[in-house]
Amino acid sequence: MQNEAYVVETVSVDSAMLYFKEIICEEVLDQVQHAYLALKTLEYIIDLTPSYNSILIQYDINHYNHLSIKEAVLKQVSEYRKVTAEKSHKLIEIPVDYSKGIDLERVAEINNISTEEVIDKHTQTTYRVYAIGFMVGFAYLAKVDDTIATPRLSTPRDKVPKGSVAIADTQTAIYPQDSAGGWNIIGHTDFNDFSSFEIGDRVRFEQI
Amino acid sequence: MIGFEVLAGGLLTTIQDLGRQGYTHLGITNSGAIDEYAYRWSQKLLDNHEGNALEILLGGLKLRATAGATLAVCGANLDFRINDKKQPIWQTHHINKGDIISFHQQSEGLRAYLAVKGGFKVEKVHGSYAATIKEGIGQKLSKGDFLAFVPTQTKETRHVPEKFISKYPKHLTLNILLSYQHDFFSDEQKEKFFSTDYELTPQISRMGYKLKGKAMIPSKGGIISEGITFGAVQIPQDGQPIILLKERQTIGGYPKIGSVLPSDCFKLAQLPIGSMVRFREINIEDAEKEMKGFYDFFKS
Repeated sequence: MQNEAYVVETVSVDSAMLYFKEIICEEVLDQVQHAYLALKTLEYIIDLTPSYNSILIQYDINHYNHLSIKEAVLKQVSEYRKVTAEKSHKLIEIPVDYSKGIDLERVAEINNISTEEVIDKHTQTTYRVYAIGFMVGFAYLAKVDDTIATPRLSTPRDKVPKGSVAIADTQTAIYPQDSAGGWNIIGHTDFNDFSSFEIGDRVRFEQI
Repeated sequence: MIGFEVLAGGLLTTIQDLGRQGYTHLGITNSGAIDEYAYRWSQKLLDNHEGNALEILLGGLKLRATAGATLAVCGANLDFRINDKKQPIWQTHHINKGDIISFHQQSEGLRAYLAVKGGFKVEKVHGSYAATIKEGIGQKLSKGDFLAFVPTQTKETRHVPEKFISKYPKHLTLNILLSYQHDFFSDEQKEKFFSTDYELTPQISRMGYKLKGKAMIPSKGGIISEGITFGAVQIPQDGQPIILLKERQTIGGYPKIGSVLPSDCFKLAQLPIGSMVRFREINIEDAEKEMKGFYDFFKS
């Protein structure tokens, strides 16, 4: 990776942001994942918050200032690249009961295909974790095949049950707890290990 | 059992400390005492290290002690009483078995901290005592709960020196470091931002404070979701700023104009609905000096 592919900016008195190219794609995600793994071993870091094309770095201001953190981050990320050739390839498999997908028909109708085709398309793709947030353990998985991409419900539901597998536009996700939400529910899973998700992980859904 | 019996939980009373660190990558927010200044004084008065305290919003809390203890109360003036007798705050008190501790009507500030020497004996979750109700971590205190502590009695009474006691003005200037997407805002927009008196709306919580004033118009309404710091000033679609605090979402996609200095956020957290705030730009060197000074003060 070229040096100009990322930049470190000061965002608050004790935080810096490592920005990559402003685009959501797998190539950028790979860069974020690598940098995240590199920064996990840097000392005096309080919190790392990776997302689609950035990593927020909160640091101990007794050890770094806004200049020295930039230097440390750039050094850590570039050196880590030199010694680490292989990528992290964690694969998480999620069993899904699609018969519990209350919006499965809606997704099929909007896309003019059958519900079986929706299930096929959803299970054929290996997704990546692009970000975790909104609520604890809510992993944004992409990219959903264009033939089943579906906009959010116009009115969000007051309660989406925990374990709901859902689609919004070209992203898919599993609700880690009961919550309000506007994503299209296409199935249900008993998977419960939401703290195992990390940025860049691979995820596949299996019909049961 | 030794500790406090909760006779009334109050509006929103939770256990807090300096917050949960190292879990934002899972979407777990930092949480922690929203006014760290008052919280840190409650700990300093008692020589508590890695302790905790009750964060009490607007009163209504009533406790009965089953043993003697030394406690400290700092922060908002919520008409703190022992056995229905009004007591001064920003100092330690000694209580005996059977004493009733209560907080009533708010007169200054919103949140008081009640700490006991040695801390409350509750379980840490992910390395912290801090309750984050929306995440299912901890709960608000309610009648019938029991808060255990280790009985202690120190002879000495300690006070926060007068000059260090917080005043809660109705007008506050917030120092802000321009950062994040500040270039989404033209010079004219920034000029408006720095010359507007913003009012605190009823939407103020541990998550953030929503302001009302002249609307800010960014050149782009959204960004790719990214990490949000304590004090970040987010400008959503209606153009009214939101200052994000301890229970903020970990990532978000609205543009942010910068970050308010943490020590100013601690003051902000004590201001009631209808208070006025104004922003003033601070540079990173001054911000660092200010916050290092803040943390150094409480180290000694």
